[in-house]
Amino acid sequence: MSPVFSHGRLRLYLLKLLDESPRHGYDMIRLLEDRFMGLYAPSPGTIYPRLQRLEAEGLVTQSQEGGRKVYQITDAGREELARRRDELDDLEAEISGSVHGLAREIRDEVRGTVRDLKQELKQAAREVRRQQRHENRSRRDRHGDHHRWDWYGDEGLDVRLAEFLDRTSRAVRRVQLTEAQLRECAAILDEAFERIRQTLKDPDQRHRDQ
Amino acid sequence: MATWTLEGPDKLAFDRVERVLVRIVEGAVSVVGSDDQPVLEVSELEGTPLRVGHEGGALTIDYERPWRPSPLSWLTGRGRRHRAALSLAVPRDCRVELRVVSASVMVGGLHAPVLAKTVSGEITLAGLRGKVEAESVSGPVQASGVTGDLAARTVSGDLTVAEGGGGSVRARTVSGTVTLDLQASGERDIQLSSVSGDLTVRLPEASDLQVRLQSTSGQVASAFEGLEYERTPGRHSARGRLGHGGGRLRATSTSGHVALLRRAPEASL
Repeated sequence: MSPVFSHGRLRLYLLKLLDESPRHGYDMIRLLEDRFMGLYAPSPGTIYPRLQRLEAEGLVTQSQEGGRKVYQITDAGREELARRRDELDDLEAEISGSVHGLAREIRDEVRGTVRDLKQELKQAAREVRRQQRHENRSRRDRHGDHHRWDWYGDEGLDVRLAEFLDRTSRAVRRVQLTEAQLRECAAILDEAFERIRQTLKDPDQRHRDQ
Repeated sequence: MATWTLEGPDKLAFDRVERVLVRIVEGAVSVVGSDDQPVLEVSELEGTPLRVGHEGGALTIDYERPWRPSPLSWLTGRGRRHRAALSLAVPRDCRVELRVVSASVMVGGLHAPVLAKTVSGEITLAGLRGKVEAESVSGPVQASGVTGDLAARTVSGDLTVAEGGGGSVRARTVSGTVTLDLQASGERDIQLSSVSGDLTVRLPEASDLQVRLQSTSGQVASAFEGLEYERTPGRHSARGRLGHGGGRLRATSTSGHVALLRRAPEASL
């Protein structure tokens, strides 16, 4: 996870908060926020899995109270806390030592959060793109040969256009273009576009007639 | 006006600070909102002395002469260094303006407007409720818990917003990526643009936005249903309405991918 609470330090901190008294999850978020002078507030999505984990390991227990879960430390949890006392003291000293120390901790925390998020969303975006490609393909199959998707298909005209641009600009870069040549090239492009437009008109017309 | 000239690590306290302006070159600067007395900690200082001025609630930290990269510094040796690491604790409603060259910048826990500009340093924003403006050339801009309006511009630096709020976002980059994880809100305006960087936005299921995503040669994809896609050579776009469509989302890229993602409802405690 993120560097402030690397090596299970968030776990340790949660245990510390529960050692003081039994608490709701949201109380723990608020207390953590206070601890970091309002600069860092972990989301329920960060806290919840850790509490579950602690519960599974028998370090905390939970009970329902007025529709909300209340967490409580167990004897095993207290033992774990005692064993890692030094680590906890280090963490405390780092945070409260100076503005500089606090700022550094926060920066590391944000860095870690951001890195995780970037990775997660990159993966998710890739997945959504994959699905979209899949849908496009099946839509194209359903509509048969005359549908727009095929005429404008990504592997066909798109690639040719890119190649054309690339080849042309390379050829142009090699020579010093004169005014007359420039005008002539522009005219050729206009003509090519007009011819492409004419070609595209027909299948569309046919499609609408069907 | 009270002024100090610092030549090494030092610590100064002030009675009242409402505005902060910092102009340094390399090193680090952090500004943190706090309920205690305003404090400046200089933990590292190399080369040119730092000037601190305090007048009528305005705190200014900079060098006596504006720094300029000298084209002959390789000839004259190292020249004088301009390196400083400083941290400030200021009231939460203090306006902050930071202008640096390669220093890393951290601002957190404030309610007032923040402006941060760097060339190659990293900008970190945490827990800001006011308006934020961040600008960098090659450094990354990273934010967590920024809930006010955010405007960010980079050339090649990545912009990433984690645990973002419901404010408006305006982001422009050339080759950096833009990654946003935002909360729902009614009236808002999100405008993102890039030349080659990917644009990725994650929103909760219940979002009210008029959406328009567009890329010239990148792929446009959305996890929300009901958007209408258009694909022609040189234009891939998706548009439509989420919820009531109270706000606006526009994401436009030349060759980057554009993706709109949906966040699953958060686990309850």
